[in-house]
Amino acid sequence: MRIGTLKETYAADEALFDTRTQKAWLAVLILALGLFPFVAGEYWLYIACLVAIHVISTTGLNILTGFTGLVSLGQAAFMGVGAYTVAVLEARLGTPTLVNLLAAGFVTAGVGALVGLPSLRVKGLYLAMATIAASFILHFVFANWTSVTQGVSGINVAPARIFGFEMARPAQLYWLVVPIMLVSVLAAANLFRTRIGRAFIAIRDRDISAEVLGIPLLRYKLMSFALSSFYAGLAGGLWAYFFRVVTPESFPFVYSIFFLAAVIVGGMGTILGGILGAVFMTMVPEVLKLAVGLLSPVLPDAVAILSPVRTIVFGGLIVGFLIFEPHGLAEIWRRTRRFFHLWPFKT
Amino acid sequence: MDMNRRQALSLALGAGAAIGLGIRPSQAADDIVIGGSIPLSGVFAFAGIGIHAGIQDYVKIINDGGGIAGRKVTYLAEDTAYKTDQSVAVFNKLTSQADIHLYYSDSTAFAKTINAELDRRKSILMAGASFASELNDPKKYPFQFIAGPDYTQMFDILLQYVAKTKPGAKIAFVHSDTEFGRDPIAAGQAQVKALGLKMTETIVTPPSAVDVSTEILKLRRANPDFTIFHGYVLAPLPEFMSQAKQMGLATKFMGTFWSMDNSLWTKVGEPADGFMGVMPYRYYYDTEGKSPMLEKIRQMRPDYQSTAYMQGFLTAMLFLESAKRTLAAGKTLTAENLKAALNSLKDFDTGGLIGVPISIPGNSVPVGRVYRYDAAKKLMVADSDWIKVGG
Repeated sequence: MRIGTLKETYAADEALFDTRTQKAWLAVLILALGLFPFVAGEYWLYIACLVAIHVISTTGLNILTGFTGLVSLGQAAFMGVGAYTVAVLEARLGTPTLVNLLAAGFVTAGVGALVGLPSLRVKGLYLAMATIAASFILHFVFANWTSVTQGVSGINVAPARIFGFEMARPAQLYWLVVPIMLVSVLAAANLFRTRIGRAFIAIRDRDISAEVLGIPLLRYKLMSFALSSFYAGLAGGLWAYFFRVVTPESFPFVYSIFFLAAVIVGGMGTILGGILGAVFMTMVPEVLKLAVGLLSPVLPDAVAILSPVRTIVFGGLIVGFLIFEPHGLAEIWRRTRRFFHLWPFKT
Repeated sequence: MDMNRRQALSLALGAGAAIGLGIRPSQAADDIVIGGSIPLSGVFAFAGIGIHAGIQDYVKIINDGGGIAGRKVTYLAEDTAYKTDQSVAVFNKLTSQADIHLYYSDSTAFAKTINAELDRRKSILMAGASFASELNDPKKYPFQFIAGPDYTQMFDILLQYVAKTKPGAKIAFVHSDTEFGRDPIAAGQAQVKALGLKMTETIVTPPSAVDVSTEILKLRRANPDFTIFHGYVLAPLPEFMSQAKQMGLATKFMGTFWSMDNSLWTKVGEPADGFMGVMPYRYYYDTEGKSPMLEKIRQMRPDYQSTAYMQGFLTAMLFLESAKRTLAAGKTLTAENLKAALNSLKDFDTGGLIGVPISIPGNSVPVGRVYRYDAAKKLMVADSDWIKVGG
């Protein structure tokens, strides 16, 4: 049982990581992330980068949907805006990678704020429809604004380059994607200790009361859209450097559903939930593929026979988690932690 | 109950983590390895399953015959669900597990995405399910090829057929609003002019269009002799054809490779009668001429095999013929040597899969023929001779 975490100041009480155990585990995590590229192969580094990109985008959507209560199905299209910004800047101006990524974030934030305008009038399913419509408009722009986006054939992106160091492979990109992911997640966690973040939560819980409390809904709802889109743009920019080709079909509508599912499965309204959801949604299909691989020696051509089954299992797992743990993976994590905190007593 | 639920969840997570350790496929050090990002689930699974079987069968034929220069051929594939990120994941996984020489790609998006990596590795020759015209550029895609004509060449084959059978005919294009759908349209329109035909209308639809009544009216106004579809597999072709018949339109409908599977049209039945399209390979049941390879396929699999099967089979054949020629010349299996060996194919006999000897001067096999669906026979029947186009 954990005891003796006395707090003597308000600052200590407000701290993001407030116990020594937490800080020690955090150090272990950072160390593990730092050592990972030296022990993992190309495939696992690829998966790690993909997970990190998904974590950034899911965290962004979590700010909007989980914390502010505004349902959006436009996250993939926003990522597309970020990816195209990077691709165009890289191809036409050759500006530095970090500048491109920041630009991707800001341009997407602008587009997000614009798309967020209907949120002042509509909520829930109606807003979801409005964001779907916006994402279709964006896809149309990607496919038809050929002078900028090069139409359906898309744009090839040069490798990311930081201080003259080229990052073309997952092993190199890992050092760009994962630190950005860490900073993004930390920033999001901190956001909810500020007035802005708390205003988002107030809006989610009841927007009329929030307005009565003196929170200007216009400003904060648009700010939430812009922040969420900034994350999507950043993730899209990294996606562009990761896959090196951006086409209108790179960010299909179903990708938006993927992020919404990640937020729900992970746990809405918790930063950890966004991370766990993104990891779950990206990793489970891969793990199931490995399971199919394990069966190959027993069942000839298991790959062909079991692939459709895998899709069903993945869907079943999502349904299962929603039924057995509606608060998401983050709640399971919290319960596990509580068990160790209180051990040997029963929770 | 509460504990049980937790136990069940931890068990599920634990099992997942345990599986995460994974295993490696087994193959000997000197095996010739074909890797594959294959869409065995998802929207393109209908083709992926056939492609997978086709590659497996050709590899089996070669291995049963003693392999290539005494080396066994191994085929490693994983499902991609037709998603580019998963295709790249499979590529990274397979290439980190085995020394891969040849690779089957499942989509244009993947082919474009992985191209920079192929150029960097210089060790893998790739082909796949994409017939995108863009890939038919040996400078930009030096280590890739298409096991058939690209989409522009397919249009060329159809238009040459039209120009020959009905000079000066009026043409309409109907295509989906996707990269796949738009691929050959501009070049096709130019070719219509060059062949002295008349372009009347170009109709764009969403990829999964269901209600086509307004498009049919456009088609009625244009009244073309031939309507060429591209960028679809089946829907909305049957809708177009049955509505057009009801309106008494005399236009003849045509399509490209992915719309040409016989079993698709058998299910459509009567409205499909007379549908024509370009086919780079022979059908499973074709018996004309000498086709020992088709006979072998029919022996191995007594049931009908799809056009995707033929595509996978021929791709594996071209892969392994390149490997054979490279090894016979005493060279190592690098991408450059494999591609050079592929390009050395002149009047190569495919054992009847393609009715004429083929050459691969660039990144495609620029030959095909027009088949027409005969609803009474429930078969696609040849309607033209093999047509070669500028490669």
